[in-house]
Amino acid sequence: LPALAAALGPGPFPGLCPFPGLCPGWSPRAVPARGRKSRHDPPAKSKAGRVKLPPPVDPEELLVVLERYRQHRLVLSALRYRHGPGMGMGLAKSRGSGQPPALLGMDVSPHPSDFSFLSGREERLRKEEEEQKRRKLEIAEKRARKMEAFLEEKEKEVLQLQEEAKNFITPENLEARIEECLDNPRNYNFAIDKDGRIVKRTVLS
Amino acid sequence: AFSAGSRLLRGCRGGHVVIRFALGGCTNRPFFRIVAANSKRARDGKYLEQLGCLDPLPNAHGEKVAGLNLERLRYWLGCGAQLSRPAEKLLGLAGFLPLHPMTVTGAERLRRRRQREQQPEAAPADGSAEPGTGT
Repeated sequence: LPALAAALGPGPFPGLCPFPGLCPGWSPRAVPARGRKSRHDPPAKSKAGRVKLPPPVDPEELLVVLERYRQHRLVLSALRYRHGPGMGMGLAKSRGSGQPPALLGMDVSPHPSDFSFLSGREERLRKEEEEQKRRKLEIAEKRARKMEAFLEEKEKEVLQLQEEAKNFITPENLEARIEECLDNPRNYNFAIDKDGRIVKRTVLS
Repeated sequence: AFSAGSRLLRGCRGGHVVIRFALGGCTNRPFFRIVAANSKRARDGKYLEQLGCLDPLPNAHGEKVAGLNLERLRYWLGCGAQLSRPAEKLLGLAGFLPLHPMTVTGAERLRRRRQREQQPEAAPADGSAEPGTGT
């Protein structure tokens, strides 16, 4: 409300200050400000003949509604008393934990106790949970398979290295290998032309 | 009756405990927290305990989701907390309390209005069909 008053500025008092010089806080607005009237503003001329009536009431419906309200309040006060301080503790323990709190323990009809319209949501949530579990399982399986493949490759490499290790040159067979190399001279010379053809037979050999 | 004698409501001087909706969220995106507070406090001010939440806008599946802490609700109701009207209606729809009378009345009115709308559609349709078959 104070924000509105600040936005609107002091309302124009008819007959009091026709000149802006007299009341420096007020100036005529080029565009009328859209806002609510304060309680000191007079009603508009278009509303002069307006007669305000209360909304129409159906007497039968009113009786029915009053009776419903009476019963509703009765039930509520009974529920409050039943679960009042000191009374709710013992009752909560005696009741089975697996049962849903059907109206705080009281059975009041008419109320839809079977929430069939909720089953769609619960099913959807359950399905989503199962989907998530399945996806997690799949991811875990994929990871396991990748690990297995990796391990297999590493094992193969290890075996290959072991195989090659038999051909290594060690201090024991050093002299034998040197003699072998000297006995079998290998020619590493080759020529290559622009088309990529390799020629092994050279002038030297 | 309860708030005078009950030791548990000693924190409320002059007011009474009320279970109501506190509005939060952003522009064009409301979000309600179901809250037990002193009735004299501001709507979004300090509360005693949060008992749940309500999202008034329907989600992608067309559901309006609410969460309720039934155990604590039961405690506060037993202490003698009052309920605001929308809180009563929500709890009635949830099944925790009996249905609010105005929920039932509103549903009846809607049903009657729909019947009245259907009958004029059926009546002019019959009225237009009969002269066609009669002539």
